[in-house]
Amino acid sequence: MDKIWRITKYEYTRHVFQKRFLFSLLSLPILILVMFAVSILVAFVSINKTPLGYVDRSGVLDLAAREVKDSTLFNPVIEFIPYQSTEGAETALNNGQIQAYYLLPETYPQNLDVQLVFIEEPANEIQAQFSDFVAQNLSLFDNLDPQVERRLAEGSQLKITTLDGSRETSQDQWYTILTPLIAGILFFFVVITSGGYLLQAVVEEKENRTMEIVITSVSPGQLMTGKIIGDIGVGLTQLLIWILFGWGSLMIGAKYLPVLQDFSLPPEYLFVLLGILIPAFVMISAILAAIGATVTELREAQQFQSLVILPVMIPYYIVSTFMANPNGTLATILSFVPITAPIAMLLRMSFTIVPTWQVVLASMILIISAIFAIWFAGRAFRLGMLQYGKRLTIKEVFGKRVQQ
Amino acid sequence: MFNKKRGKMAIITAHNISKRFGETQAVDQLSFEVQPGEIFGLLGPNGAGKTTSIRMILDIFQPDSGEISVLDGPMNEEKKNHIGYMPEERGLYQDIPLERCLLFLASLKGMDSANAKSQLETYLRHLDLYDVRDKKVKELSKGMQQKAQLIATLIHDPRLVIIDEPFTSLDPVNTEIVKKLLEQKRDEGKAIIMSTHQMSQVEELCNRILLINHGQRLLYGTLQDIQSQFASRDILVTPLTELPGVIEGVAEVKKLNGRYRLILDQDAQPNQILKNMIQAGIEITQFEIATPPLNQIFIEVVRQQECAQNG
Repeated sequence: MDKIWRITKYEYTRHVFQKRFLFSLLSLPILILVMFAVSILVAFVSINKTPLGYVDRSGVLDLAAREVKDSTLFNPVIEFIPYQSTEGAETALNNGQIQAYYLLPETYPQNLDVQLVFIEEPANEIQAQFSDFVAQNLSLFDNLDPQVERRLAEGSQLKITTLDGSRETSQDQWYTILTPLIAGILFFFVVITSGGYLLQAVVEEKENRTMEIVITSVSPGQLMTGKIIGDIGVGLTQLLIWILFGWGSLMIGAKYLPVLQDFSLPPEYLFVLLGILIPAFVMISAILAAIGATVTELREAQQFQSLVILPVMIPYYIVSTFMANPNGTLATILSFVPITAPIAMLLRMSFTIVPTWQVVLASMILIISAIFAIWFAGRAFRLGMLQYGKRLTIKEVFGKRVQQ
Repeated sequence: MFNKKRGKMAIITAHNISKRFGETQAVDQLSFEVQPGEIFGLLGPNGAGKTTSIRMILDIFQPDSGEISVLDGPMNEEKKNHIGYMPEERGLYQDIPLERCLLFLASLKGMDSANAKSQLETYLRHLDLYDVRDKKVKELSKGMQQKAQLIATLIHDPRLVIIDEPFTSLDPVNTEIVKKLLEQKRDEGKAIIMSTHQMSQVEELCNRILLINHGQRLLYGTLQDIQSQFASRDILVTPLTELPGVIEGVAEVKKLNGRYRLILDQDAQPNQILKNMIQAGIEITQFEIATPPLNQIFIEVVRQQECAQNG
């Protein structure tokens, strides 16, 4: 046990305290952050802050009644200028004094018909400000129960609940769609990078012959277990830092973007992600280690690595099938096949409520597969470690000629 | 297991071990023992089965048949802490500092960190590597890497040391240091198996040897016994002056580099020749029975076996 821990520690520190790890660790969130920041900035900087005009023939609007919120970067308060006639507004629009004007005809209280005249359509945020202004001036809701009034203002909310009432999702919980998708992408990145380290470490040890010294100090099982645990440690470190990074960004972002304030994950959701992703990660790591043990060169190993990684991505290639029918036969089967299960299950969770028993079953299949994969890797290792010049065949690994 | 003649436990006892890889019989019914306090030369041409034998001792391979006892019984994980192995194909982690690499390898031998650090410092200083301990292994010269490898082999004070070609990349100064180190370990009672092609090193260091070819035992015993077994009846003489052309009892005189090789008559004895030479008034500074160099024995024995096998 002590030796496993020593190998784990060594594997972990030798990857985590490397420049390339720091680079791969920071590159993804920084890339996302930069893209995110740039696109948001571009969107908001490009908002036209020129005043908005209106011509009110119905006499409904009273500028003094406007309740003005604080102006923010993402929601700048626009000045409204009343005009007596469409001609005046038209002239102001053509002179660039206003970016657009609304026309409320005399019949407005009856048919609630509004016209918007513009050269370039104002941003949604600005149109929303005018809608709020109009709503504040309408006496339509005056005699309503405030609760009903609020319900009307918020519109409908669709909530889906499983028959047994154990799980539910609702339409405005955008994060229930986004979180599994992001988790899938992160999972993929972690598997590629840290799985790649493991593969590289095993092949390098074979190439530089350190293996023979290590194997006369510890058993192949200890070596394999230590390496895989170390590798998972590397992956989890990466994941944890990304999650902290994401969480931090959410907290900061929520101050500016109200939509982010709704974000919260039910604890069982996290459990599902861990129950599926961790065993899947162990399984793929062990398969990669087994590949490392059977091939002779790093380049060859990398080719084999893509053979393992590509099937993991299959559900993304057919994402439309998952969107159209997330509980369909194909989607369900793929969420039980060990190699496609992690991404398939995450995609299904994005688009539907996956029955609890299916999540549990997939998790169990993955745990069993992970154990089997470690066993397989140990065996491949024992056979392959000293065959420097020769690649090991799968038949040999499963065959009976194994040294014990 | 108990060696009556020597009165101590053998560190390794191999009894009729065989190993076959496909069509190749790598090791064939091989038996030998290695004692504590000896340097044991494991010799043989390339592909003779030396590495396979070593790997069977280390339990990397299991023999198809036969038995191996290491440190009093079958090999197990605990015993690995008492074995130091330096494979022919050197193996050190290239991308990390030397000190870190060696400390990790020492920790895998069950050494605690404090002990490993103090031992390592002693060895690094002794082998003149202390100043480069923070350098990455790949930045070190071949000879330095080899010395580092030797540290990895010896740092945990193993009872059994197995080293393959320990002198290949070393200059004469370092060769001498390493030789002394091995002799010191032997004198401390460790068993050392040394596999090498440098016969002069074997002659200098080894107490006993095992020569194998095609996985079979060709020679096995003390160096002395083997050399006298192959001793010719030639005599090497270094005289002060030129030797006369004819000496009684000598069939032929061959001039070597400042020395002479005397090939004796069928029934002449070396003692008689020495007497004859003194009587003839020849002044000599050196007189010895020519033992064939191990190199020559090696070639001869291997050739004989090849001839016998090829019919």
